[in-house]
Amino acid sequence: MARMKFLCDIERCIDCKGCVIACKEGNGVPVGINRRRVITINQGKPGEKSISISCMHCSDAPCIAVCPVNAIYQRDDGIVLVNKDVCIGCGYCFIACPFGVPQFPKGDTFGKRGVMDKCTFCAGGPAPNFSEKERRLYGQNRIAEGKVPLCAAMCSTKALLAGDGDVISRIFQERVARRGTGAKAPGWSTAYK
Amino acid sequence: MKTNMQKQRIQYIVQIGTVIVCLLICCFCFASELIIKRYGLVSSTQIFKEFHVVASPQWHHYASDFITFVHKAGRLYVWVLFGVPLLFLLHFLVIGPKKFSHTGKKIYFYSVVTRLFHWLCALCFSLLVFTGLMIVFAKTFGGGSTVLLARTIHIWCAYAFLIVATPLFLIWLKDMIPAPHDLMWLLKAGGYLSKQTNQVPAGKFNFGQKMWFWLAFAGGVVMFYTGYYLSTMGVSQAQMAAFLKIHLILGLFILAFFITHLYMSLFAIKGSLKSMIEGYKWEEEVRALHGKMLK
Repeated sequence: MARMKFLCDIERCIDCKGCVIACKEGNGVPVGINRRRVITINQGKPGEKSISISCMHCSDAPCIAVCPVNAIYQRDDGIVLVNKDVCIGCGYCFIACPFGVPQFPKGDTFGKRGVMDKCTFCAGGPAPNFSEKERRLYGQNRIAEGKVPLCAAMCSTKALLAGDGDVISRIFQERVARRGTGAKAPGWSTAYK
Repeated sequence: MKTNMQKQRIQYIVQIGTVIVCLLICCFCFASELIIKRYGLVSSTQIFKEFHVVASPQWHHYASDFITFVHKAGRLYVWVLFGVPLLFLLHFLVIGPKKFSHTGKKIYFYSVVTRLFHWLCALCFSLLVFTGLMIVFAKTFGGGSTVLLARTIHIWCAYAFLIVATPLFLIWLKDMIPAPHDLMWLLKAGGYLSKQTNQVPAGKFNFGQKMWFWLAFAGGVVMFYTGYYLSTMGVSQAQMAAFLKIHLILGLFILAFFITHLYMSLFAIKGSLKSMIEGYKWEEEVRALHGKMLK
């Protein structure tokens, strides 16, 4: 069985935030919620690096461990999904998540939150595939269509890889072997001298 | 046979060789250091460490503790929710309620304003406790919209309680300051462990009532503060974990005292509920349970 994974190649990511926009637009994610975000360190200085982070679909995920209503579950292919019909929006998963992934829509003036929303690996949710309910609550189901997630599909530098862990790690290894790293990377001498 | 001279020469060669090798290693290290500095090469582990600082700086400090705590807290609530009433059932069967003659002089105990605010507080507080329990035992209620509604009521009642509790706090504050005789009351366990009704040292409020007062109001402020940040998510995840811990543990104590308060007012002292509705207590009861008030 394939184990779905994300891999962000930090040598290629250029902080264009195209993945964030693609995800928001394609999945109809409301304002104020980002299923994916880009983190940049040393901005404007030598050694600037960016990484695109969303739900990492952990093995033995902490969010599943703390969820008081068992709303979060993991599919056989490793994708972690949330059942929005069961979720109570308590926020335990947000505290437990090592990547700060779970998002909660802002509620009324008294600060009541809605239910948790996070990256679905573009695999929809527990609702029937391609149903109106699934589209409304969870967004597209590209996995069922046989496509990779939106963010990885549109990544302009192909920094973001998504799919079977074995396949994407092989692609990444070949890439690293061909390009070299650090001072041996192509274009290094022109960029940093 | 090697002479002593030859042996010494070999030793010298070995020593000098070692020094040269060390120098070469140092030169290599220095050179690679220079290269690294010049090209700014940073190991990817280092880069990911820096990403980690931005993404979730303190996760590894609090997370494992938090994950185990959440499960423990649920079990503790089951113990308190069923254990405390069971203890009181035992008390009711073995020792039984206190009865006082409801004849003779009536003493005006609670003013109209006090009673009004008490019942407003009681309404908000009961709703807070019940909806809070619904959130803790969300799985039993099936989660989803039922518990989401409970969470909404929980948050509204928190604000409402803050408003109605402030006047009651000010009304009762004077009588609720702990006094030396409270220690004696505590040693006698308020006289609740004997069937006879002896006089217990207490003013207008005994130490049990004082504990409940401070737990409900001072604890209520802490609950409001932590709950406010838990609901608005205005702080870091590490702080939220700490706040949740405080909220759940303090909630446990408040639940225990809430059950105690219910038992005391509904079952343990006959006519206690009536006094909060009509405002009067009978003299015999006051003399026994709140003796220092009459002097």
